[in-house]
Amino acid sequence: MNVLLKAINIHKYFGKQHVLKGVDLEVEEGKTVVIIGPSGSGKSTLLRCLNLLIKPDKGTILFNGMDITRGKINIHRVRQEIGFVFQSYNLFTHLTAIDNVMLGLVKVKKMDKSMARKIAEEALISVGITEDLWKKYPAQLSGGQQQRVAIARAIAMSPKLLLLDEPTSALDPELTVEVLNVLEKLSEKKMTMIIVTHELGFAMRVADEVIFMEDGRIVEKGPPERILLAPEKERTKIFVSKLMELYRIDRRYK
Amino acid sequence: MISELLDIFSKYGIDLVLAFILTLELTFLSFSIGFVGGIIIAVLRSSIAKPFRSLLTLFIEIVRGTPMIVQLFFVYYTLPVLGIKLDSFTASLIALGLNSAAYQSEYLRTAINSIPREQWEAAYSLGLSSFSTVINVVIPQALRIAIPSLTNELIYLLKFSSIAYFVALPELIYTAKWIASKTFAYMQIYIVIALFYTAVSMILSEIVTRIEKKVSIPGLTIKVS
Repeated sequence: MNVLLKAINIHKYFGKQHVLKGVDLEVEEGKTVVIIGPSGSGKSTLLRCLNLLIKPDKGTILFNGMDITRGKINIHRVRQEIGFVFQSYNLFTHLTAIDNVMLGLVKVKKMDKSMARKIAEEALISVGITEDLWKKYPAQLSGGQQQRVAIARAIAMSPKLLLLDEPTSALDPELTVEVLNVLEKLSEKKMTMIIVTHELGFAMRVADEVIFMEDGRIVEKGPPERILLAPEKERTKIFVSKLMELYRIDRRYK
Repeated sequence: MISELLDIFSKYGIDLVLAFILTLELTFLSFSIGFVGGIIIAVLRSSIAKPFRSLLTLFIEIVRGTPMIVQLFFVYYTLPVLGIKLDSFTASLIALGLNSAAYQSEYLRTAINSIPREQWEAAYSLGLSSFSTVINVVIPQALRIAIPSLTNELIYLLKFSSIAYFVALPELIYTAKWIASKTFAYMQIYIVIALFYTAVSMILSEIVTRIEKKVSIPGLTIKVS
């Protein structure tokens, strides 16, 4: 399998705070990687380092065999090929759903409007956003709809890699399912994804690899069955069992 | 008093109308110069390198730190020394326009700063350059936020345009003074002029309120901090 992304020894400081303490990561093409871990463990920072929204202080990131952390790399060009989905959706508030999806196609890929519209429509349909919502503004959509539009905006650019930073954390359970279903479909279509999430059930079904991060380091990684059901490290055990407990339905209540 | 006024109008009505038009011309043209200049300055200040940025900051500080009359006299009386001779209308237009550009760029900068960081990040993630992000994402949102302050600026300019009096431009104040000195109807003339200014600013605010409604983003309540 072709390695699409390789991060080697990534360090990041915010002032004196050492947020990432030497993270190594390798993602093969077509794989879905899920990152779990307590808040403040550096998951979001790591994700933002991978598309250079945050510049790592030390370390190397190879994307598609190219070192994007050094030399005369055109950051904007690299970012075209790496989609990003945010926890708070971050749709452009002044644009309709379809214009949100079209912006990158027209302004970055320099497509003509009719072509861009066609691709945008396809992307919106693929995430279950029906035509009646295309002309709506973000503030007129539900959280789940906004997040699906945001996913459409990212995949319309046909990125090689999709980064998702807690895409369902701001959503209520029903809307979470909406969004997770979309992601599951993307995973089946072999979109390469790195997803930060606390949805263990989803990770179990969809992930090829689960990574547990804490305190700026990767504690443990492996296939979901192992990390989620039989972790080796004590810290992973505690974290996973806490999450399991959170989502358990006790039989007593039946 | 009424008959006196009618008398004045029948004699000097055409001068008043011309003066009125000149005042409006000066107001709108200098606002337009200020608007375009303000956007350019605001965009440059949020996307170019530091040394240029401080140059623009210096310009804004000078404009804000000196009386407008000094700026007008600089353009009208000092530039000819350097070989640039301007008529009173052009000089007033340049002085008011540059002054307004500095203020409008500040209003826009405040508005730009109120656009959440996440909007920039989302645009960058799609591969937009900083410039393209400012033009396509930030400015369209910032302009909507800045509408109320820009309206105030337009109304200020309407009133500030009267400083062109000092370089003998026959705008409203100059003409009013001239008519008054001929007819000795000082009070009546100045009341009429005051009503002119008030009526125009009321009409302008009404127009802008309608524009504001028209461009407002459906469903979105903009919070200005």
